[in-house]
Amino acid sequence: MTGYVVQRLGAVMFIMVAMSVLVFLATHALPSNAAALILGQYATPETQAALEHKLGFDQPLPVQYWHWASRMLQGDMGQSFEMERPVAPILWDAFGRSAILAVSSMAVVSTLGLALGVIAAVWRGRWPDHAASIFTYFGVSLPEFYWGLVFILLFGSTFHLLPSSGYANLSDGLAAFVSHLVLPVATLTLTLLAHVTRLTRSSMMEALDSMYVKVARARGLPERLVILRHALRNALIPSITVLAQDFGFLIGGIVAVETVFAYPGLGRMLVGSLERQDLPMMQAAILVLTGVYCLANLTADLLYGVVNPRIRYGGSVG
Amino acid sequence: MAVRLAELTAADFIRRRRRLPASLIVGGTIVAALIVTAALAQWIAPYPYDQMHVRDRFQPPNLHYLAGTDEYGRDVFSRLLIGSQLSLVLGATATLISMAVGVPLGLIAGYRRGVTDEAIMRVLDVMLAFPPIMLVLLILAVTPPSLLKTAIAIGVLAVAPIARVTRSVTLDLMSGEFIEAARARGEHLHYMLLRELLPNVWPVLMVEASLRVVFAVLLGAVLSFLGFGVQPPAADWGLMISNGRAFVDTAPWISLAPGIAMSITVIAISLVGDGLREVLDPKVGGR
Amino acid sequence: MSALASPSAEPLLEIRNLTIRYRENDRQVTAARDISFALRRGGSLAIVGESGSGKSSVAGAILDFLGPTAEVTGSMLFEGQDIAGLAPAQRRQMLGRRIGAVFQDPFTSLNPALRVGRQIAEPMVQHLGLPLAEALSRAEAALQEMGIDRAAEVARAFPHQLSGGMKQRALIAAALACEPPLLILDEPTTALDVTVEAQILRLLSRLRRDKGITLLFISHNLGVVRRLCDDVAVMYASQLVELGDVHRVLELPAHPYSKGLLASRPPLAAASRNNRLAAIDGQMPTTAEPDAGCVFAPRCPFHEPRCSAGPQPLTIAPDGHQVRCWKADELGPWPRQQVAAAVQPAFRRGDALVNATQLSKTFGTRGGLTSWRLSVAGGRPQLHRPPKRAPAVNDVSFSISPGEVLGLVGESGCGKSTLGRLLLQLLRQSGGSVEFDGADLARLPAQALSPFRKQAQIVFQNVGSSLNPRLSVGEALERPLALFGLTKPRDRTQRVAALLDMVRLPVAYRARYPHQLSGGERQRVAIARALATEPRFIVCDEPVSALDVSVQATIVNLLADLRDAFGLSYLFISHDLAVVAQLSDRIAVMYRGRICEIGTAADVLAPPHHPYTEILLASAAEDEPAAESAVGIAGAAHGGCVFATRCPHKLGKICDTTPPPLRTLTTSHTIACHLDVLPHDVGAPPIPVRPDPLRAAI
Repeated sequence: MTGYVVQRLGAVMFIMVAMSVLVFLATHALPSNAAALILGQYATPETQAALEHKLGFDQPLPVQYWHWASRMLQGDMGQSFEMERPVAPILWDAFGRSAILAVSSMAVVSTLGLALGVIAAVWRGRWPDHAASIFTYFGVSLPEFYWGLVFILLFGSTFHLLPSSGYANLSDGLAAFVSHLVLPVATLTLTLLAHVTRLTRSSMMEALDSMYVKVARARGLPERLVILRHALRNALIPSITVLAQDFGFLIGGIVAVETVFAYPGLGRMLVGSLERQDLPMMQAAILVLTGVYCLANLTADLLYGVVNPRIRYGGSVG
Repeated sequence: MAVRLAELTAADFIRRRRRLPASLIVGGTIVAALIVTAALAQWIAPYPYDQMHVRDRFQPPNLHYLAGTDEYGRDVFSRLLIGSQLSLVLGATATLISMAVGVPLGLIAGYRRGVTDEAIMRVLDVMLAFPPIMLVLLILAVTPPSLLKTAIAIGVLAVAPIARVTRSVTLDLMSGEFIEAARARGEHLHYMLLRELLPNVWPVLMVEASLRVVFAVLLGAVLSFLGFGVQPPAADWGLMISNGRAFVDTAPWISLAPGIAMSITVIAISLVGDGLREVLDPKVGGR
Repeated sequence: MSALASPSAEPLLEIRNLTIRYRENDRQVTAARDISFALRRGGSLAIVGESGSGKSSVAGAILDFLGPTAEVTGSMLFEGQDIAGLAPAQRRQMLGRRIGAVFQDPFTSLNPALRVGRQIAEPMVQHLGLPLAEALSRAEAALQEMGIDRAAEVARAFPHQLSGGMKQRALIAAALACEPPLLILDEPTTALDVTVEAQILRLLSRLRRDKGITLLFISHNLGVVRRLCDDVAVMYASQLVELGDVHRVLELPAHPYSKGLLASRPPLAAASRNNRLAAIDGQMPTTAEPDAGCVFAPRCPFHEPRCSAGPQPLTIAPDGHQVRCWKADELGPWPRQQVAAAVQPAFRRGDALVNATQLSKTFGTRGGLTSWRLSVAGGRPQLHRPPKRAPAVNDVSFSISPGEVLGLVGESGCGKSTLGRLLLQLLRQSGGSVEFDGADLARLPAQALSPFRKQAQIVFQNVGSSLNPRLSVGEALERPLALFGLTKPRDRTQRVAALLDMVRLPVAYRARYPHQLSGGERQRVAIARALATEPRFIVCDEPVSALDVSVQATIVNLLADLRDAFGLSYLFISHDLAVVAQLSDRIAVMYRGRICEIGTAADVLAPPHHPYTEILLASAAEDEPAAESAVGIAGAAHGGCVFATRCPHKLGKICDTTPPPLRTLTTSHTIACHLDVLPHDVGAPPIPVRPDPLRAAI
């Protein structure tokens, strides 16, 4: 087990470094002139050159990377070109708001998705399975932003049940806070739910078809026990990997959903910074979002190692 | 398992007269219809996609405009048809690119093992470490967008999953002794990859490809929606939905129609993928 | 004493007219037809047959294992009650408490996510109502009874941490947890090594003796059945063809199929070159209409028109022996095959075709970055790499002359497959050299390897994956011809036809794909493919191990015929000593990478033996093998004799520390052992051996 942990940690560190290099290189390949952007109407060849020197753009790339990376690690994310304020506080605020969406969605998706998948597998061929199939088909066939619009149409415009945009602080009251969250979370959850349900279903079916389940039945164990203790335990192990993968889709979904609902989160900030070519903001947002994804994968890998007896207890006995 | 999958040949269907699953027939028919429609879109469409009928703006679906008109008076239905070209071309191109790069990588990694395998896997790991949309945005944000660039970006993104699947199927096949038998004859690398391994990998790749096409279409829509895909006045479905956002209260059909078109396309392709999977490994269907 | 129930005592299990049908892809397949037998308490009945005979379906029907596509008719009475008529809840109760079951594959029968002790304790909690703690301690006791020393550790372990033999013991413990009167075992030892198999069989005998458990034992292995069971039922193509006392059936089989089956097993004796195994031509039908006559008639050397005229009933003799053959009483033994006396080549040491010198192979680097492990020793964390692995092949030397067959025998994991591949340079050796026709292969430049490849080919064990599923037979056979330019393109078709003829397959098979062929047919195609390059030397890596017994005999005969026709040399690898003895001029015994003994077939099979050879012989001869000193895996290489940890004749410390010397008993017979073997006293073995391990051929 320790070997596994060491290996995973090593892999994550390697990936984070490689990823930061990629982000840096890609954003510095911007054809547009960052200095010209900042200076706006004051841009002349001399002022541009001066600003470029000040920003360190004339130094060799590896040196620039090194400066940039060490600053990042210390928490200094630079100055937003557009807003002319430090990036870090803005980013973390937005991050917090996105985190609320993300956590709520993952919570619903994990519990509901696994449950639906298991039910569909246990009652395979009968109506719960068919219902789940139809649901998953529609869920995966349309992107989140579309569902978002449909929800806005239904709940926001037509029936005026829920606010269709924006965000309310907790300090403004629990009701307001929650009501602004319902639609975005529902939208995010819908697509992911379909994915998780489908994969859990097939993983559970594989467990139910396995030899050890047949043997358990041949020992006269009641079906409920067979499903819950024998099959489920094995079926859930791969589900962890699925949920980790879904976290990646979640991050993508957040970008779209926050745009649709004008929710002031990190995704919307990222889109804005891309549109306006705000380099530091862009780099920071991508780095943070990708970093979170890496950590989520690491957590999933470690959890997988704990839950899977083959990894947790290696070696042989007797 | 891969060896078992590979046992099925087209000849089997004809010889054994096995019934094709319903999903494959239904999905296949719809996909075929979509492809034909897209190919002939220019001739089928009642109006040019960018023609504005200023007096007929915001018309709900009626006999003249089957899906209504948008804020510029353009016929939504015609734009849907043209848009189908963009989506299908995007899906197909991105998938072809990802397979052209991913399949050889996976084959070589699986066949060679050792350092080659490790190196390829590390590169793939880094690519997979990005949440899907991040990688694409990174590529698209730094260069002016176009349909080709979007296809390439999505294609690059899909290289890693395709390479992984190819590699794992290849590893599975490598344990089969027919590979060793070929080496015992002293076959060269290109023969091993092309004539021994690849024909056995195809069935799984077909299933995977259908998934990738769906993924590409959906991701393309998100990108256009956010403004990073094709630019106006193109009749891209994602772009249409984005434009229609502002009018969702008063003229919902502007956004709803492309959504319905997209869902039909995606569901049809998914059905084809499911049907293929069922054909190759009937157990998974759950019968 | 017969396991068959006498009319007065009520049988424990009675099966009457059991018929099992499956619906498969719009077709109906009958797996078992009109099966009837009765099993008394304390008896043990074996159901034997080859794959496809339906024997597993019978067990499956009793255990309700078959799934919804199966249709079961007839009655199955257990302790007087008809099982089929029970409500599901009652049936489930009965299954756990009153009938225990053990299946073939121990690797998939245990739940990988639950501890072993828990899995054994579960039925006790369910059926006996015991609290978990008590059930767990009983589980531990059960494991101990199964002969596992560190029962507590094993009970807390997960399945992946145990060896195959231990898993199977745990599964037997789980099956017997509630002390059921009946235990059904479906091929329980097929996936295990022969020595582990012997241990499991000893365990089962002991359980029978001590607890009076009734056994229903499904197997294809007649030797195993003889050791364990009182009675045997022989099934062929879904029908019961013979039923009776085990010694009677196995020594004086009445039904032609039983005769053929028993006759086709190779005797454990060195065979002369013109000796061929009795074989059953053709193959078992998959669907059969009983009204069309005897199912076996197409393959039966004794058949007459009357045999195919209508359904063949079972004749029941007064002593309970049943045979489904009206001619049974008149029949003689299964006809033997003999070929014209082939010239026995004289093998001279000098002109070796293949020469291996001090060959060794160690697998794997020590791992890249990912193999470093962290451990805490003495309170401080340490990072270290895994230890060096033991060599798979260790300092092996031998030679094979042109036209000679060298048999290589050993258990799984001993390195014999690796050795075969080293000879063909499919793997690069870590040390030593391989010479072919005088040329050192390692020194040859890449281009020069091609002529070598043409002359040295290989046939594999796994018939399921040795042919490319996407190539037809014709395409697969044409490829070597094209690659080596052996024929002009227009002559290839003819040559392919000739190859198919050589392996006795119809020419029409060229258009077939592997999945349309049976196991035996696929192996013939693999042999044809090897012959296509006109080789001089073929490595046969367990070519018959995956095939049914009756098919094995035909393939072994085919290999012998080809050897004589083309003067081929073979390295014949197998774990089955009897099969090796049938075909080989010389035999080498391998254990954990080293050759323990090598000599002519007659030399190796007769005493004196290396201690490991002695164990293999006893297991193969179906007698109680000499008790080994330890259950389980041998220790890692430590410089001494590799067999030291398991050797019943271990001398002492010298065996652990010093590699054994090669003792030359005769010019051709060498044994690696510290024991003082008297080289001239062939008749008086210094190593005590059980009563004559050679059995008389039937």
